[in-house]
Amino acid sequence: MTLATDPARLPAIGVARRVVHRRAWGAWVFGTLVLLAVLLVIRAGINARVLNVGIFLDYVFSSQIVTGARNSLALGTVALLIAIAVGLVVALMRVSGNPILVAFSAAYVYLFRGTPMLIQLIFWFNAFPIMFPHLHLAVPFTDTVLVSMPMTRLITPYAAALAGLALAEGGYMAEIIRGGFLAVDQGQRDAARALGMRSGQVMRNIVIPQAARIIVPATGNQYIMLLKSTSLASAIGYLELLRITTDIYAANFHVVELLAVAGFWYLVMTGIATALQTTLEKRYPHR
Amino acid sequence: MTPGIDSPMIDVRTVTKLRGTNRVLRDVSFAVPRGQIVAVIGPSGAGKSTLLRCINHLDTIDAGQIFVEGRLVGYEERDGALYELADAATSRQRQGIGMVFQSFNLFRHVTALENVLAGPLIVLGQQRAAAERRARELLERVGLADKASSYPNQLSGGQQQRVAIARALAMQPSVMLLDEPTSALDPELSQEVIAAIRRLAEDGITMMIATHEMELARDFADRVLFLVDGELVEDRPAREFFAAPRHDRARQFLSRLGLGAVQTEEAGT
Repeated sequence: MTLATDPARLPAIGVARRVVHRRAWGAWVFGTLVLLAVLLVIRAGINARVLNVGIFLDYVFSSQIVTGARNSLALGTVALLIAIAVGLVVALMRVSGNPILVAFSAAYVYLFRGTPMLIQLIFWFNAFPIMFPHLHLAVPFTDTVLVSMPMTRLITPYAAALAGLALAEGGYMAEIIRGGFLAVDQGQRDAARALGMRSGQVMRNIVIPQAARIIVPATGNQYIMLLKSTSLASAIGYLELLRITTDIYAANFHVVELLAVAGFWYLVMTGIATALQTTLEKRYPHR
Repeated sequence: MTPGIDSPMIDVRTVTKLRGTNRVLRDVSFAVPRGQIVAVIGPSGAGKSTLLRCINHLDTIDAGQIFVEGRLVGYEERDGALYELADAATSRQRQGIGMVFQSFNLFRHVTALENVLAGPLIVLGQQRAAAERRARELLERVGLADKASSYPNQLSGGQQQRVAIARALAMQPSVMLLDEPTSALDPELSQEVIAAIRRLAEDGITMMIATHEMELARDFADRVLFLVDGELVEDRPAREFFAAPRHDRARQFLSRLGLGAVQTEEAGT
């Protein structure tokens, strides 16, 4: 072969050549298939019994539905805040190095992350008051009684849902926060201690702000999950968005429209959570 | 307990440090008078960093005592034993001992200025305005006045290390411990850090520098501690050490660096 040395076949130096980039043909073929599938689904939707926009609009801003959405948002938000506090404490126990605290936190995470949230909600609402029928809080070794009432008065559907969601979510948050702590390089702590910071100051000023870069995005994700998980509280009779929706369509059979209404409000809630996450992430940028 | 004017700034007495069954420091003793600059050299793993980290109690010791300005660091002597001090007490002692690390360890979530301010604001609780004026002066002193609002990841290694020096100085320490301050830098960037350290030397601050950089050790160290396997095998004025190292390992070490090949290998034994 004299191909490489044949001067006639070599491009002349200095002559501009058009550059053609490689095309990803496979992706285009697959994209076309996806587009076809979407068109088929849309056609099926048009032929099916369509959602009645009038009924959807009647319910979407009705006071019952809005109350349900507000209850869900409040339940999910309060549960997340408690879960962050619980998770922080459990994560601090986990990194403390004390064998009792480490074992406790590991057991906590295993138990609360390892069983379904729905079971935990039902447990707090149904089983817990059976196990402990009467709440009696007193100062030890005195006659001072702080609280004394039947457990069923304390364990309302809201309280049971909040306890279930917050404690279960606390298990996830503990792991997220621990992961954040571990991501902060030991050298950062050494430098802070060498300046004379006490361990609490190192935690507040150096470790937590840096761990936040890892913790914030993951927590945003958990918030979205938790807002949707509030629908589990419908099983124990708490009047959140899904429970109100199903109660209404059980009476009027507008299943499609009412589920669409519920879906709409869940999307609004998760939209708010996403916006919050984006704002917080900007406050703790990666450096 | 009160340090006399002649009492050493750093006084290390028969210090032993274990890591598992490995003795990373073996019965090390020396004293550093006020204003002296000591280079700690030796092969990797000799215990140079550990020694510095024990002096401000970032690492614990297993036997012996370390005094800085006449005060026992990290421990309290009671009934013939040393009890480790509470976090708050040790933290107070560390305030007077500045440290610079091989990997800079600037707080990466805040700017250069905030790094320098961390000590005065968080540890000493100073007023921001006054502290900031001083912090800017320190940044200017290390040649980085224009980088005050840069984040660590926007600075070169040499610039980061100079900010780290300013951060340590902001606590007005009486002693500076520099743990391989130029080892993570290429020769050109090392030079700017060496220049910053030279200014400290001119100011007369007591310093211990663990280093591989012979220029650092030779140019302005008054004294050399040569460590091998956790043992202090030579402790001599820098000039004498570089002219004629006594210990075999020191001679080998210097000749491997292309320095001090004055004597032949056989001359030692």
